[in-house]
Amino acid sequence: MGEVKSTFQAMVGSNLRWMLLLPLLLCAAAPQQRDPDKDTTAILQANYLYNIAKLVEWKDPAMRNGNFIIGVIGSANVYQELIKLYSTRTIGKQPIEVRKLPRTASVERCHLLFVGRSDLELLPEIYRNLAKGPTLVVTEYEGALDDGAVVNFVRVNNLLKYELSLANAGAHGVVVGLTLRNLAYRVDERP
Amino acid sequence: MKRLLAIVFPALIGLAVQAQPDLLVEALRSYQAGDLVKARVLVDEAVQTPAHSQDAEAWLLRGFIHKDLFKGMPGGAKADAVREEALNSLMNSLNLDEAGTYKDNAVQAYDFLARSFFNDAAKALGEQQEDRAVQLFNGYAKATLRRQPGVSLKAREIEFHNALGTAYTKRFNQQRQDTTWFLKATEAYGHVLALEPDNYGANYNLATLHYNRGVYNIRAIKAEDDIPAIQRIQEVSRVHFQRALPFMLKAHELDPQRRETLLGLEGIYYSLQDQSSSERFRRLFELLPPQNDQ
Repeated sequence: MGEVKSTFQAMVGSNLRWMLLLPLLLCAAAPQQRDPDKDTTAILQANYLYNIAKLVEWKDPAMRNGNFIIGVIGSANVYQELIKLYSTRTIGKQPIEVRKLPRTASVERCHLLFVGRSDLELLPEIYRNLAKGPTLVVTEYEGALDDGAVVNFVRVNNLLKYELSLANAGAHGVVVGLTLRNLAYRVDERP
Repeated sequence: MKRLLAIVFPALIGLAVQAQPDLLVEALRSYQAGDLVKARVLVDEAVQTPAHSQDAEAWLLRGFIHKDLFKGMPGGAKADAVREEALNSLMNSLNLDEAGTYKDNAVQAYDFLARSFFNDAAKALGEQQEDRAVQLFNGYAKATLRRQPGVSLKAREIEFHNALGTAYTKRFNQQRQDTTWFLKATEAYGHVLALEPDNYGANYNLATLHYNRGVYNIRAIKAEDDIPAIQRIQEVSRVHFQRALPFMLKAHELDPQRRETLLGLEGIYYSLQDQSSSERFRRLFELLPPQNDQ
């Protein structure tokens, strides 16, 4: 009888320990650097960036040749997700090239530039540096369209959506397709 | 063994000494000699006779013989049948034993067999035989209530269904396309919470089950998915994140210092695109001293 009891206790004891530990592995993200597999926002943002790239067009013919460059400042997980899922894809005939850019406002020319939350302080200078260039800036803070971003991620009813500015797009020589406009949470059409 | 049997079966030992021919005495001798198979044949026949059919001691011996046979079996349907016979015999003995002469021994053997159902249920869960585990747990409940009607099985039910939920979760994690396991897991944890709403483990695990399913949906996004597709996926995941939240909040309320709950809330709010709440729980986590759970 004693043996039965101890066998049972060992079994259930082990189960209970496992019961609490397994979900923890799935749930627990290290606070400083979120596990890329659990970074749902980064996964969504990477997919949005790829779709945005497909739904806009550059007036400058030079931007329609060579690699399609997506630059990322901050957000290592967005960069990793782009590499994992989209770096072997093309935009039209242009192969996608994903670049992790250094934390500096002296940004090289890209098609798309994503600046994550951790590096927002660089943005004022980035906007100034890229004001006349063809780079489409995507970011994630309130008021970004007023500052010069073309696309801004917004959080609405527990969902990640995007808003866009047609004027800012035009200033960078970018034509926004109708689909991208129609699917946006908000379109700023102010000139 | 002989001394023990003399205590358990005093009348039979007396008859055996006198060497009177009797099926039950022969059964006892075979039992003493360790020949359980022969003892079983003899005792089965003995309890059919008018002399022993209403004899508490005969049914007790039959219960012991079947119990020992069961203990020597590897498990499965045959062992289940033998255990059932043992339980029935011991119950008969208890019912016939108005003076309570054999009660202690019958109860001890009966309870051992009832507990063996629970032990086997835990073993079956470990071997991913969940249906059998449920069947065995029901056997445990039925056997226990048969001897002690009205006794509370709540603690055992909670223990079993928490482990069952974990087993189903493990299955779901192996086959995430099959939501049958997800539904079974939520049902198992739901059963625990119906019995005990403040059960920390069930609240935490149910929250995590929903959270992980929401994350899995988003992780399954493919490069081909267009914006309407990812918006639909988000909406489905949002439902799971929203379902996870009250259970994780409850777990946090039950134990505010648990690291995994703070991280769980940080993750759920993050996936619900609620940055400020996510950061609030991150800060609470960071304020905890290292390894506070132990």
